[in-house]
Amino acid sequence: MPDPYPARVRAKTGYEADVHGQTWPATATTQSSVLASDWLLFTLVGLAVALLVWGLILFAIVRWRRPHGDAGDEYPPQFRDNNALEIAWTVVPLIVVIGLFVYTYRAEADVEAMVPKPDVTIAVNGFRWGWTFAYDGGPTINGAERNPPEMVIPLGETTRIVLTSSDVNHAFWVPDFLFKRDAIPGRTSSFDLRPSKLGTFLGHCAEFCGLDHALMNFSVRVVPPDAYARWRRGASS
Amino acid sequence: MMIGLRLFISSAVFAIAIAIAYWLVAHEIVGTFLLGFMACALIFVAGYMIVAESEANLHGDRDDAKVSDGAGELVGTFTTRSPLPIWTALAVTCIGLGLVISPTLAGLGAIAVLVLGAFYIVQSR
Amino acid sequence: MSAAAAPVAAPPRNDLLGWITSTDHKRIGILYLTTSLGYFFIAGALALVIRTQLAHPNATVVSAHAYAQLFTLHGTAMIFLFVAPFALGLANFLIPLQIGAPDMAFPRLNALSYWLFLFGGLVIFAGAATNEGAAATGWTAYAPLSAIKVSTGLGQDMWIIGVFLVSVATILTSINFITTVFIYRAPGMTMWRIPIFTWEMVATSLLVFMAFPALAADLLLLFVDRHLGGHAFDPAHGGNAILWQHLFWFFGHPEVYVMILPYFGVISEIIPVFSRKPIFGYTGLVISAFAIAGLSMGVWAHHMFTTGAVNNPFFSFVSFLIAVPTGVKFFNWIATMWRGSISFQTPMLFSIGFLMNFLLGGITGVMVASPPIDFQAQDSYFVVAHMHYVLGGGSLFAIFAALFFWWPKMFGVKLYEGLGTWCFWLLFVGFNVTFFPMHLLGLEGMPRRVFTYADQGQLPALNMIATLGSYVMLAGVLVFAWNVVASTLKREPVGADPWRANSLEWWTTSPPPEHNFDTLPAIRSERPVFDAHHPDVAARTPR
Repeated sequence: MPDPYPARVRAKTGYEADVHGQTWPATATTQSSVLASDWLLFTLVGLAVALLVWGLILFAIVRWRRPHGDAGDEYPPQFRDNNALEIAWTVVPLIVVIGLFVYTYRAEADVEAMVPKPDVTIAVNGFRWGWTFAYDGGPTINGAERNPPEMVIPLGETTRIVLTSSDVNHAFWVPDFLFKRDAIPGRTSSFDLRPSKLGTFLGHCAEFCGLDHALMNFSVRVVPPDAYARWRRGASS
Repeated sequence: MMIGLRLFISSAVFAIAIAIAYWLVAHEIVGTFLLGFMACALIFVAGYMIVAESEANLHGDRDDAKVSDGAGELVGTFTTRSPLPIWTALAVTCIGLGLVISPTLAGLGAIAVLVLGAFYIVQSR
Repeated sequence: MSAAAAPVAAPPRNDLLGWITSTDHKRIGILYLTTSLGYFFIAGALALVIRTQLAHPNATVVSAHAYAQLFTLHGTAMIFLFVAPFALGLANFLIPLQIGAPDMAFPRLNALSYWLFLFGGLVIFAGAATNEGAAATGWTAYAPLSAIKVSTGLGQDMWIIGVFLVSVATILTSINFITTVFIYRAPGMTMWRIPIFTWEMVATSLLVFMAFPALAADLLLLFVDRHLGGHAFDPAHGGNAILWQHLFWFFGHPEVYVMILPYFGVISEIIPVFSRKPIFGYTGLVISAFAIAGLSMGVWAHHMFTTGAVNNPFFSFVSFLIAVPTGVKFFNWIATMWRGSISFQTPMLFSIGFLMNFLLGGITGVMVASPPIDFQAQDSYFVVAHMHYVLGGGSLFAIFAALFFWWPKMFGVKLYEGLGTWCFWLLFVGFNVTFFPMHLLGLEGMPRRVFTYADQGQLPALNMIATLGSYVMLAGVLVFAWNVVASTLKREPVGADPWRANSLEWWTTSPPPEHNFDTLPAIRSERPVFDAHHPDVAARTPR
């Protein structure tokens, strides 16, 4: 069962070593472990609530179904109020949602935490219909509809993405990171990625931006730090 | 106090409270304005109800009213049919379409709305 | 006004002229219902084309441009021209009957609202006949995508005009509803005795009054940007792209509650009748309606969690809070059925289906109210699943429940139960087969509003399953259409109260006379007709 606050723990011990291999819950960044835990908690609570309420409904309609048709004049006890019950089913859900909120607030703070000095900074620009990745002091990778660009970033280090758009709203989404951020013209938005898994992860634009929105894709390749340094030297030349 | 008035007053109080809370938490001007204007709209209606309808004494508000209590009263003139609504809607649509297709159409629509407006007043007399 | 003999109205005309000049709330209500169902069939057909295109990866059923128009018109029609107007039409028919009034407070304004709605919808669709086609920016028309530089066609302007007309119509109707309920209740019909449906419509009307003006303002700003040299949303000239989203969602979120509160009211009318018990927790249902309405004005930016430009915790917290009054309603409905005597005529089948479906939609709603979850789910098929579970599994099922329940009152004939049961099961199975897989599609990384997707992972299989489910839903809708035709041809008349129901509309004939009531029973509870027909049971009902 994933630790609810892996970021706090992992700041000391490094990144997650085991690999799940399936899409959900994916944990390809240290932030996505926190996100996956959030998903798991809410899914379990949701499932519990669903089973309880569906169960009550199904029980009621089976247990108290009228034997046949609507003939007959029998009317069951006509109760319509129960103050204790009504207070209970107001207060208990209130406590549950407040608990969920406290958890979610801390999880979001963990995910959005940004380090004072990232190891890599990339200015990402979305446009109709591709992406440009401009490495700070490094190469610029260009992409278009049928030529999705690839962003290379080092494992275990912090990459800062500074995101914007040069025309309409887009969104930078890597499903394996369980994370997206909107690219909005006229403003930049920054976030950190701390990959914990090697591999190539697909990315999509996730804000409808016109005709070829469905083709506005990219990929993120996570490589060991030395391989990243070699790539960066090679790509800059 | 009429329950409707209580509804608008409590909604207005809620709107003011959430507008203040939003500003304090988020310091975001657009949302604060929206919530603030929402409060103003509710206060506007509540104010009207206080000033103009404080003497309303409706049969519908009395727990023990008998149906015969309301018999024979002339509550107002209910029109049962009128050609004005469809023509007005058509005229307003012409204004709208005219704004994007043809200024002449918009102008004709505007004139039609004014003429029809006069008819509404005449029909209500 | 002279005190001479009260004027007597001429009998209503039954021809076309009679219907288009009528200001009778019942006729206007039926016009709304018929028109909104017409838009539903069109929007549903568009959805079937969408699903056909998405059945296979890299399909070429429609072009990318056509696809964008399809999902724009589908969303716009379903939201602005079907789910909300259907509720307004139902309320138009029912509210005066339920409170014992002869008509709405402003009959001509009522008719004006209907015609503005009809013409507004036609203007939106007329965009499809223009050079560059209909609007193609989604029902949300985000700026700067909807700016004139990007969306150059007339279709976007027709969309703006059409939606503006529909918004005006809705605001006028809400004013009519609030005034009517406040002023025209029959003697003894205190506010605490009006049916829950009418209460929900008061809350809905309040929401419309507070939220729709923001949309109207947003549309005006967009129009000024597009044609009068404005730059409200243009960052290159000092504007702000996010401004559109704030104004839009300030309207947009309350709009979704406008699309569910009336249907909570429908369920609250039907469950007591088919459980043979009074509605449980009347006061709780009323207070929760207003709690939901009030809170819903403060959550708009939960649609903007991924922008990084809003205070996520504020909106997350208030969004979580809305789950509490919604839960109160659910428990009240279950308690109404508890120890009741339950029968499963079609309105009750659809109501139970509503409960089952909407619960899942509500739960995924609480999930996406958590920003960390929304970072994955936003703009993916997960959120498409969520919205369709609440609107399709929720509102649509309540719409069918309402149709089957009030059809006899409106038209004097009952829809067939056998065909109704088929309709329910086809829709229930079809709906869940279509939309449940979309949760998984979203988690697997399929964005929304895409005309195609890559041939990898589970994407093709899940999409194919969803498409097959949509055809099953089509079958259910066709069965409903056949039910209407067959029962209308057969014309078996019904009496005033075929369901042994509770509220005042069941006192008068089916259909009611133009002035609604010839007599009225004494009104001492929220179920005056039941009290009058079953005085012994009424006597043992706690007050």
